[in-house]
Amino acid sequence: MDWLEEELKSALSRKEPAGGFDERVLAAARRPKTVMLPRRWMAAAAALVVLAGAGQAYRWHRGQEARDQVMLAMRITGKKLSYVQTRIAGDRQ
Amino acid sequence: MVFSVAYHFLHDRELAEEIAQDVFLSLHRNLGALESAAHAAHWLRKVAVQRSIDAARRRSRRPQVALDDVAEPGERPAPGDPLLGELLRKLIATLPEGQRMAMVLRYQEDLDPSEIAAVMGIPLGTVKSHIQRSLALLREKLARRGVGER
Repeated sequence: MDWLEEELKSALSRKEPAGGFDERVLAAARRPKTVMLPRRWMAAAAALVVLAGAGQAYRWHRGQEARDQVMLAMRITGKKLSYVQTRIAGDRQ
Repeated sequence: MVFSVAYHFLHDRELAEEIAQDVFLSLHRNLGALESAAHAAHWLRKVAVQRSIDAARRRSRRPQVALDDVAEPGERPAPGDPLLGELLRKLIATLPEGQRMAMVLRYQEDLDPSEIAAVMGIPLGTVKSHIQRSLALLREKLARRGVGER
């Protein structure tokens, strides 16, 4: 081993963490484990929620449209029936 | 050993402590899989190396110290001088990650190249080449700063 390697051994001698490190590790080990989701999973989950919400809103909108169409058809039919009845009554008189 | 590997590799005390804590928590979770003290030591080194490299890659988006940015010391440090130790640590911090980790394991952990290859999961030839290149580069940089042989 030459002088540089000896200097490297000395320069890279082991360092210790700040005081209380063992206690901090033990405290962390005792803490109940919380699952930390990676960001990309959180983004995917958020996208799913948005998509599901949009799908629900679209279905609601389609339902409203269908209901309005049925109501309109019933109103038209009602008017036509009333017109026919009026004509029949007129003919009889 | 775990903290020290991360510290010398990353040159960041806070991040090194975070990694060391994370490694020991992993050890706590994997205690059942470890067969002996030697196995545990190997496992700790390997996980510390992996986590440190991962942290360095995550950090790599931030500007790093380039080799030429390491300030010239006011006085020429001589072998055995604490200033030389500090200069060496700064120069090692500027090496590419593979070379840097090989140097930390060689001179801090006193591992031989085959042990380093096993811990880093790279071929023995690559480890030898990392160490030779790093030593040559350090000698050149030190010579440029007027630090020579005893």
